[in-house]
Amino acid sequence: MSSLYRILSSSASPHRTLDRVAMRLIAAAGVAIMGAACADSNGQSSVETESGGAPSAFVDDLGDTVAVGIARRIVSLNPVTTEFLFAAGAGPRVVGRTHWDLYPAEAAAVPDLGNGIGPNVEAVVGARPDLVILYATVGNQRAVAALHAAGVRTLSIRTDRIDDLRRFANAYARVTGDSGGIVVADSVLASVEAVRQMPRPLIAPRVFWRMGDPPLFTAGSGSFVGELIELAGGSNVFGDISAPSPQVSLEEVVRRNPDLIIVGPTGAERIAESAAWRVIPAVRAGRVVVFDTALVARPGVRLGEAARHVRELIYGRGGR
Amino acid sequence: MTPRIWAALLLALCASVLLALVIGPVSLSLGDVYGAIVGTADSQAIAIVRTIRLPRIVMAVLVGAGLSASGVALQTTMRNPLAEPYLLGVSGGAAVGAVLVTAAGLLHPAAVELAAFSGAVAAVLLVIAVAHASGARSSSPALVMAGVVIGAFANAAILVVLSGAPAGAVRDALWWMMGSLSGATWSGTAWLALVVSVSFAGLWLLAREIDVLSLGSDAAAALGVDVDRATRRVFIVAALLAAATVASAGLIGFVGLVVPAIVRALGARSTRATLVAAAVAGAALLVGADVVARTIRSPAELPLGAVTALVGVPFFLARMRHVA
Repeated sequence: MSSLYRILSSSASPHRTLDRVAMRLIAAAGVAIMGAACADSNGQSSVETESGGAPSAFVDDLGDTVAVGIARRIVSLNPVTTEFLFAAGAGPRVVGRTHWDLYPAEAAAVPDLGNGIGPNVEAVVGARPDLVILYATVGNQRAVAALHAAGVRTLSIRTDRIDDLRRFANAYARVTGDSGGIVVADSVLASVEAVRQMPRPLIAPRVFWRMGDPPLFTAGSGSFVGELIELAGGSNVFGDISAPSPQVSLEEVVRRNPDLIIVGPTGAERIAESAAWRVIPAVRAGRVVVFDTALVARPGVRLGEAARHVRELIYGRGGR
Repeated sequence: MTPRIWAALLLALCASVLLALVIGPVSLSLGDVYGAIVGTADSQAIAIVRTIRLPRIVMAVLVGAGLSASGVALQTTMRNPLAEPYLLGVSGGAAVGAVLVTAAGLLHPAAVELAAFSGAVAAVLLVIAVAHASGARSSSPALVMAGVVIGAFANAAILVVLSGAPAGAVRDALWWMMGSLSGATWSGTAWLALVVSVSFAGLWLLAREIDVLSLGSDAAAALGVDVDRATRRVFIVAALLAAATVASAGLIGFVGLVVPAIVRALGARSTRATLVAAAVAGAALLVGADVVARTIRSPAELPLGAVTALVGVPFFLARMRHVA
């Protein structure tokens, strides 16, 4: 760095000030970065579910403070929250959705506002919402800032895991005062729990969940799919990886030698014909089952059905 | 450049700004837009025009002007029609910064912008250091070679980071790299305006050195210019300018390459005239490209970087026929 500084400041000409300006800008950027890093360490707060504090505000998964008040016109930019709102009876209040929110069928009648991540802010504001619900991710931060600038209230919640459904239900109830959704979340999670309570053998079948390919992805313990495998009585061969959807090598799948392989609709034929996949005994024995992509698409109100579906995939229709 | 061409450039800028004010998912007439600006329209129109369309237009003007002026300075100084900020490591460094922060899941609102800016500045310093260490000091070929190498290294680093990142972070990072003005806010615009105007003033002050450098390093040295030092200064200021635009809007390719070529084809000669003409033309091009990006597949948006490249390539090919 000292030699760099020498390069930048070794001048004795009238333009020396310019070099100094450059250095100051660089230094200012450095200080700002450090400030941002410090702010971040305490800016990431999780959603509180039952807090005894003043009910005047709520902190969401992006760290934004959400004002409490009735929501009459809601734009939901996350398929999980859209289907939740319809299940909770708030469907008539949904005035905008993403291009992919097609469940339930009534949702398709709601105006399509485009992307859910990096949404078209003007189209969202044009729907005149008093609450915009987003998936909490870095890619939505600019949109959230622009919506706040336009005076629109936002609620950003992560929806990756099974319990996020309850967190969202509580957050929505807390922010809008409409607690109808809590019953929905309770009932969904009760049916998930019922699957977890089903009898299971002492040694759970070892399951590999195949996604992508190429590149080959699977479900780690950080995703609702990984959670579904475990609660349906399977043992996820990649359950030791905490990432939601880690990329894995076929060789590692062979080494971990699953008893059962769960694949998407096009996957069964492809791996049955692949010499590389046939190295795995489960493939040669035909222990490959196909999951319903519509059902296991997202951690929403159909999680109970999804859990029963995964249980059937692992243990067969009669529960074996 | 004749006064008529200046007038045409300014007219193009005004026309694209008007278009950008009127066109959008919510249909507003010119009267509504005027009412929103002066404050007599309804609150929704005011919110849309003042907090969504206007900051976006101002940011497009700044990004287009900044990238184009940066391209003019670099191409003239290095006597290389391909010398644009992205070739010289700025974009690669910015992308590494942005991707690292995105993959780490940092949620501070300005984290991506700050990381991109710092990454770009770090890459520029690295390019200068590499050129210096090679013994060639800050000669133009050494800077170009160092820029290409640092850019390739940055690409490799991005791939390594993204291959291990969660799927959501990969998506966020890719969208950032495609370039977009959709998140424009007044505070971000104000910061960009500050850096762009300071850097533009810097290039303006350096214009005489740039003029002399454009004669070639031997001729410039014979005229008493310290070629390495002058080249380095232009490089730093031009790179800062580009770094600020990249931090605000992501990677928007081809503007820094094509706009200088266009204004030269229109007859711009002196460095100062070329800088100003390129700034106006670049602003008009980017405001127009952004209108295309957000209307063609509305309500979804096309990546702005793709639109500028689609528009830019034919221009560049036409220009190439004259050169080759």
